Amino acid sequence: MSALIDVRNLSKSFGKVKAVDDVSFSVAAGEVYGLLGPNGAGKTTTLRVLATLLKPDSGGATVAGHDVLKAPEAVRASIGVVNGGMGLYDRLTGREILYYFGRLYDLEEQQIERRIAELDDLLDLRDTLTRRAGGFSTGMAQKIVIARAVLHDPPVIFFDEATSGLDVVARRAVVDFVRDYPSKGRAVVYSTHVMSEVEELCDRASIIYRGRKIAEDSVDELKRSNGSNSIEEAFFRLVSRVDMGHEEVR
Amino acid sequence: MRPVMIWRVARKEILSTLRDTRAIVSNLLIPLVLMPVVMLGMPLLLGGLFEREATNITPIGVVGMSNLPAEFVAVLEAQNVELVPVDDGVTAVQNGDVDVVIGVTEPLAVALAGNGSGTISIYSKQGNMKSELDASKVQQAVAIFQQQVVALRLVDAGLDPSVLQPLQVQNVDASTAAERSSGQFSWLIPFFIAIWTLTGGQMTAVDATAGEKERGTLEVLLVAPVRRTEVVVGKFLATLTFGLSAALMAIVGFLIGGALLSAVFLPRLGDQGAEIVSMMGGGLNVNLLSIVVLVISALLLAALVAAVLIGISLFARSFKEAQSYIAPLSFVFIIPVVLLQFKDLIGLGNEAYLIPVFNVLLLMDDVVRGVVDPGRLALVWGSMLVLILLLLGFAHRNFQREEVIFRS
Repeated sequence: MSALIDVRNLSKSFGKVKAVDDVSFSVAAGEVYGLLGPNGAGKTTTLRVLATLLKPDSGGATVAGHDVLKAPEAVRASIGVVNGGMGLYDRLTGREILYYFGRLYDLEEQQIERRIAELDDLLDLRDTLTRRAGGFSTGMAQKIVIARAVLHDPPVIFFDEATSGLDVVARRAVVDFVRDYPSKGRAVVYSTHVMSEVEELCDRASIIYRGRKIAEDSVDELKRSNGSNSIEEAFFRLVSRVDMGHEEVR
Repeated sequence: MRPVMIWRVARKEILSTLRDTRAIVSNLLIPLVLMPVVMLGMPLLLGGLFEREATNITPIGVVGMSNLPAEFVAVLEAQNVELVPVDDGVTAVQNGDVDVVIGVTEPLAVALAGNGSGTISIYSKQGNMKSELDASKVQQAVAIFQQQVVALRLVDAGLDPSVLQPLQVQNVDASTAAERSSGQFSWLIPFFIAIWTLTGGQMTAVDATAGEKERGTLEVLLVAPVRRTEVVVGKFLATLTFGLSAALMAIVGFLIGGALLSAVFLPRLGDQGAEIVSMMGGGLNVNLLSIVVLVISALLLAALVAAVLIGISLFARSFKEAQSYIAPLSFVFIIPVVLLQFKDLIGLGNEAYLIPVFNVLLLMDDVVRGVVDPGRLALVWGSMLVLILLLLGFAHRNFQREEVIFRS
């Protein structure tokens, strides 16, 4: 199995807070991997290290075969990032925004046009392409955010709380995209606190809690091994076990 | 650094600013219109007021009208003054009946007879512009009348009036032709460049940096495989473009204002007109080399301002924070301009050519005066370049800092 993402003993602190504490996992090509945990568990920090925006205190990672510390630019060229708080340039149209980023990824004009046509089919971009982003609904904006992230057809895509702040329809559009986007040869990391999304989308998932990975398995196995009917039930069983351990240590 | 990437970043910022109608109006149109309005408006308004004051018949109160000799009344009336009898000087001025009152308590003709002297009181409100202007008319009449009286007395004593002025003073201007035509206002152009680059570049600088943080577009830009130096330089160039455009607009506005001013006022002023034009720097005669030096210096000044803007607004976490840092900057640029007015008194050595902004003003002043020293030129350009690079380095460093990029 060839791992597109390989994370080894990653740790990162902000002051005294250990945001990520010795986390390791790997994601193979063709896999959708879930990072499940409450807000502040360390999911975003982990993904920011993988996106070369933060430097780890210790440990390391390779993304699409490139080391995040030694070849950050090669890593950036191989990834797409979608998160919930991402904005757009209000005074540019959807097409102009996609062109701008396409040019930053050094794509040719025809390549950009071809990709926009493909993504239009997939995401139903329609008039988001010709209208200025300042007038977009959150759903329209999120479609352009997704199109922008995958414009250069990266082998690795990170979704970080990509549905937060979206209405039901827009949320559905994101989830449908992740499910339907051709995943052959691609690795997707889907980070969320919404359990149902993990159940629907992810092949495997790890549960992140207080900066640590407390469980990792296929979604079905996570449920089964914790004697739960839903991933939510499994999550709370795992978390309470950790919290009890935490009290004991104190 | 790849120039094509820098251009792609800059192009997007330029497009984005061009689409911002409010920014375009306030940055490009306002300087173009504001300059002529201020330049023409002030003299038109003030000139009109003063002219009206001079030609209008001004009522002046008099206490003891019968005490004024006919000759004095004639001199007063020649100053466009209408004499109005009042009872008390202080109350008449305080009540606002008139702005100025003349008080004479004894018949002046009697007092002055036989080389005697008399007293005239002038009641006015000091600090009130209108009252002081009217009082000056009275004072002028008093001076003329006094001269008449003195002349008569000298003739009576058998003396020529010229005995009172034994010395004649001649003032000769010993400055060179270049110095004379350089003009007191040659600092205005660099001043405009500094101030309008600051105003004009502000929108782009803040929008492209702190604005990206606030809108949540910075993270995805930093995830793209474009280098941070390219992003910084691209945004800096876009800022410089709009800053320079605003400065250029202000200069064009200034030239239009100057042309209108000379068309409207110079014919009225005659000989004095030419003098005023050269004082305003209108008679500048600079050769091609000087122009090249001036343009390069102006570009460096604008680049410095743009680099300051980018450095500051990248450091700021939000739009508001950036603007509160930038607001006091215009004062920083006014100080060197004020200082330049006193440069002859301070007596400046080479060190002065290392003071940022001030050194460019000094150099430009030297150029129009035709006294450029190559060593000082190198000092100014060199120190400016170093400073610009340092500021861009500061901006770049901020881009690397995790706590500056993610404001959590």
